Amino acid sequence: MTRSTPLAVGLAVLGVVFIVIAALYAFGVLQILVSDPSSPHHYTHMILFIVLAVASFVAANFARPKTV
Amino acid sequence: MWQALFMGLLQGATELFPVSSLGHAVLVPSLLHWSFKQSDSAFVPFLVLLHLGTAAALLILYRTQWVQIIRGFFTAALRGRITNDSERLAMLLMTGTIPAAILGVFLENRIKSLFASPYAAAGLLVANGGLMLGAEMLRRRAERRVQAASLSRIEQEERFTDAAHISFAAAALVGACQALAFLPGISRSGVTIGGGLLAGLRHQESARFSFLLATPVILGAALIEIPQLLNAGVPVVEFAAAAVLAGVAAYLSARFLLRYFRSGRLDPYGWYCVAAGLVSLALLHFGL
Repeated sequence: MTRSTPLAVGLAVLGVVFIVIAALYAFGVLQILVSDPSSPHHYTHMILFIVLAVASFVAANFARPKTV
Repeated sequence: MWQALFMGLLQGATELFPVSSLGHAVLVPSLLHWSFKQSDSAFVPFLVLLHLGTAAALLILYRTQWVQIIRGFFTAALRGRITNDSERLAMLLMTGTIPAAILGVFLENRIKSLFASPYAAAGLLVANGGLMLGAEMLRRRAERRVQAASLSRIEQEERFTDAAHISFAAAALVGACQALAFLPGISRSGVTIGGGLLAGLRHQESARFSFLLATPVILGAALIEIPQLLNAGVPVVEFAAAAVLAGVAAYLSARFLLRYFRSGRLDPYGWYCVAAGLVSLALLHFGL
C-alpha cells in the first residue's frame, strides 16, 4: 500500500465523516436508501457506517509513513 | 412441523453447496404446493434462524482459524503493517466483506422483492449454472497457460495459490460477487468460489475463502433481523429445531465440499443448476 501522510489524513477524515453519517442514520436524520422511511432509527445503516469508519481508520494507519 | 424441518435441512445443505439456498427456498415450496411460502410473515424470521444455524456451523468448523484471523486483524490494524498470513487473510476478509455489506444494506430488499417469483428463481438457477461452468472453462484455460493440463488434478491444483495470497483487489471483487446472491437462484458460494478460481486460488482454498467470507455476512444479516424475529410471534421451538438441523447440514456440507474440492470441480453443480432450473421452469409452466 502507498504510504503518504496526505493519504493517511484523507482516510482518517473519511472515517470521521462515516461516523457522522452513522450518527445521522441512528437518530433518523438521514433517510437516504432506507427500506422503511417511517422508522425513527436505522440501526442497520448505522452499523454499516461504523464498519466503514473502522475500515477507514485501519487503512489510514496502514497509509501512515512508518519511522522504522 | 415436517415442512419446517425439511426446509431447515434443505437450507443448511444448499447454503454452502453452490446451488443457491434462496433459489431452492423459493422453488421447493412452490413446486410441492406447500402452504409455507416466501410471502408468509413467518418466512423472514424462519430464514433468520436457519442462517444463524449455518453461521454457527461455519464458526465451529473454522473456530481455530477465526481466533487467528480476529487476533491477526487487531494486531495488523494497530501496527499498520501485515507480517504473517493470518493478518493478511484477516485484511483480505475485511476487504471482501465491505462491498458485500454496502450492497446488502442498500440493495438486498429491493433486489429480493423484484425477483421473488419462482419463475425468476428457476431462470436465475440456470444462469447460476452457466456462471459456474463459465468459471471452470476459464480455469481450464488458465491451467493450459501454466502448462498444467497434462498433470494429475492434485498437481494441477498445486500450481495455484492459497487464500492468504490473492490481491486485495481480487478479494474486493470476490466479496462484491456475494451481492449477486441476493438474486434467488444465484448461489453465494457458487459465485465466490468461481470468483476465487478466476483470482488464481486452488479449488479447496477458493471454497475455504468463500466460507470464511460468508460467515460475517450471514451472521451479521441474521443478527440484525433478530429483533424482528422476537416481535414476530413465531413458533420458536419448531423454528429452532429447524435451525439446529440447518446447522448440522451446513457443517456436514462444508466438510464434504472441502474434501471434494481437493481435486473436484464446480462442473457437476453447474450442470445440476442448469438441469434443476430448466426442469423447474417446465414444471411451473405446465402447472405440475
